[in-house]
Amino acid sequence: MSERTVRDGGAPLPGNPRGDASPDRRDGGDSDIAPQRHDEPALLAVDDLHVEFDTYGGVVKAVRGVSFSVRPGKTLAIVGESGCGKSVTVQSIMGLIPMPPGRITSGTAMLDGIDVIHQKVVEGEDIRGSRIGMIFQDPMSSMNPTMTVGDQIAETLEVHRGYTRSQAYARAVELLGMTHIPEPAERAKQYPFVFSGGMLQRAIIAMAIACEPDILIADEPTTALDVTIQAQILDLLDELQATTGMAIILITHNLGVVARLADDVAVMYAGQIVEKGSSEELFHQCAHPYTLGLRAAMPGNDPHREQGLQAIEGTPPDMFDPPRGCSYFARCPHAMRLCEDRLPERFEVSPHHYASCWLQHPASPVEVPGLYRGEGEAA
Amino acid sequence: MFRYTVKRLIQGVITVWFIATATFIAMHSVPGDPLSGERLTNEEIRANLEARYGLDRPLFEQYLIYMGNMTRGDFGISFTQQNRRVNDIIREHFPVSATLGILAVVFAALGGILWGALTALFRNRLPDVVIMFLVILGISVPSFVVAGLSQLGLTSLNALFGVSILPVAGWGTLLHMIVPSLVLGLGTMAFLTRLMRSSMLEIINADFVRTARSKGLPPTRIFLKHQLRNAILPVITVLGPAIAAITTGGFVVELVFAIPGLGRYFVQAVQQLDYTVIMGTTVFYGAFLVFMVILVDLVYGFIDPRVRLE
Ligand SMILES: Nc1ncnc2c1ncn2[C@@H]1O[C@H](COP(=O)(O)OP(=O)(O)O)[C@@H](O)[C@H]1O
Ligand code: SF4
Ligand SMILES: [Mg+2]
Repeated sequence: MSERTVRDGGAPLPGNPRGDASPDRRDGGDSDIAPQRHDEPALLAVDDLHVEFDTYGGVVKAVRGVSFSVRPGKTLAIVGESGCGKSVTVQSIMGLIPMPPGRITSGTAMLDGIDVIHQKVVEGEDIRGSRIGMIFQDPMSSMNPTMTVGDQIAETLEVHRGYTRSQAYARAVELLGMTHIPEPAERAKQYPFVFSGGMLQRAIIAMAIACEPDILIADEPTTALDVTIQAQILDLLDELQATTGMAIILITHNLGVVARLADDVAVMYAGQIVEKGSSEELFHQCAHPYTLGLRAAMPGNDPHREQGLQAIEGTPPDMFDPPRGCSYFARCPHAMRLCEDRLPERFEVSPHHYASCWLQHPASPVEVPGLYRGEGEAA
Repeated sequence: MFRYTVKRLIQGVITVWFIATATFIAMHSVPGDPLSGERLTNEEIRANLEARYGLDRPLFEQYLIYMGNMTRGDFGISFTQQNRRVNDIIREHFPVSATLGILAVVFAALGGILWGALTALFRNRLPDVVIMFLVILGISVPSFVVAGLSQLGLTSLNALFGVSILPVAGWGTLLHMIVPSLVLGLGTMAFLTRLMRSSMLEIINADFVRTARSKGLPPTRIFLKHQLRNAILPVITVLGPAIAAITTGGFVVELVFAIPGLGRYFVQAVQQLDYTVIMGTTVFYGAFLVFMVILVDLVYGFIDPRVRLE
């Protein structure tokens, strides 16, 4: 408990104002991004992460050189088709990769000068649950079926804060209230199996933010829920971010969710980040054909486009033997000969907006409608 | 929960009644009766004895009388052991069998859970391979063989040290109880180890365990409160039948180790068709087992909240 107060950012949960005075990102229109917003030091910086799995079929190269950073109090969305390595990326940060068969072959994730990939315990406290919280896709299987919901939330506080059982339990009830669970005192006494999916996801969120983490990782938090419930959970995350000032890493394959919540976006394809930048840029100045394809497959986003959705044809490449050149080559409608053999460089499309695609090269002859071309500076 | 308990108890009573009736019918269908073994000099004496024990009455009447006495807790008098009430036989010898059985069950359950969890944690590594090899031995070698071998081992051990470290047979002190209860529980322990291992393997990387890790809980806490507590559930469900297996296996182990338990009387009574002793021991054992199974179910309901609602 004392350690937490030594560190800054440990203000009590309710009523902690947002750390910055940036305009509400959902008020639309405001697409110009003040550069200093990007230049504030990253809260978490992941660099060149590589993760492999040994399987009977060979070595799966699930994550291949992923780098991104999370700004304090902001939401980074990681988007991409299922199987592209989103979960493996965040689970590596949280030390949740089963080893064996998994292996983190290289990479760092710096949080306050500490590489959390290789060091989970700082000054006697596990950073998981205290500085980084995490919620998962399927709430129904994510809670221990033989412990009450209240006890499971209290447990985190007992371990990290040194609360007594009754203190922790009382706080757990408060946290359930904060996530808008009706009759929190009653609910805390119940077991997970009597909860509905949406209610349980709220309880899991309460559990993940119990120790006021700096970052909440949400791995497809709404995928397993009914559509009506999905929106409520997203609203809750947004509200909690506003009151606690925590950063969120939101994993999703739904661009609609990104448009709603994200400040920054990283688009993943076949274990790599192919484009990243602010949410506004990704939607209005998208610079990678895959992002363009995702947008075309997104319902009701682009008012200029005719109705029908265009799903991206084909399937992602085999991760046992990833392609030599651009991994999107086989599906890319604008592929050039060069793309097959040479891994695209990373181009800085505009400050803090990067895309790994040869189309960004100044010498590229191809003009793709709707695709933004930067200055073509390799980064 | 209360209604569930009452319901289970009523079911239990019906089960015991069924056991008693079936035993009664089976016993009387066997040729001969308790008096066949006696050297009865003439018909008159036999008729006298039959009258004394009520064996001259119609079978159904005997059944009613017997059931009536039994509901009052009176199992009658032994036919072959003069003036010994069956109640006294049970009272004197059941505690011995029960002690042996309970020790064996505790040993089997704790051992099974411990070894099962250990092999799962060390999956496919040396401890797993060694323990699982022993488990196969434990399941396939019958307990009378293990009993004999362990006696042989004890004799050699005691001879080696020149003093009696552990008694080879008999009953009385805690030292007498160790080896027989280990032998008695061994097969069940091996079986439970295998069950616990597969259940633990299923849970070791369950979603909720991943959640527990993401909360930064210490490994011991994750193991005890999240993995073990859930992995143990299948083991508890088979504990009822396991107790039954151990109790019946106890008859053999009691004989080999010369333990004055109830088992010996039961076997003797069956050989001599000692009606009252057969009925008394069978019904008593049956009731005991039914009660244990109900108890195990209630404990299960306590540990797994999902069954409490029913
Ligand atoms: N435990 C595992 N063993 C083998 N392969 C795995 C394991 N976990 C993930 N992978 C592989 O890693 C790749 C990325 O998976 P994941 O990160 O879960 O994708 P997603 O983007 O849908 O979250 C997949 O191809 C998957 O097959
Ligand atoms: S590098 Fe080539 S194949 Fe890859 S996305 Fe760009 S244009 Fe398409
Ligand atoms: Mg995933």
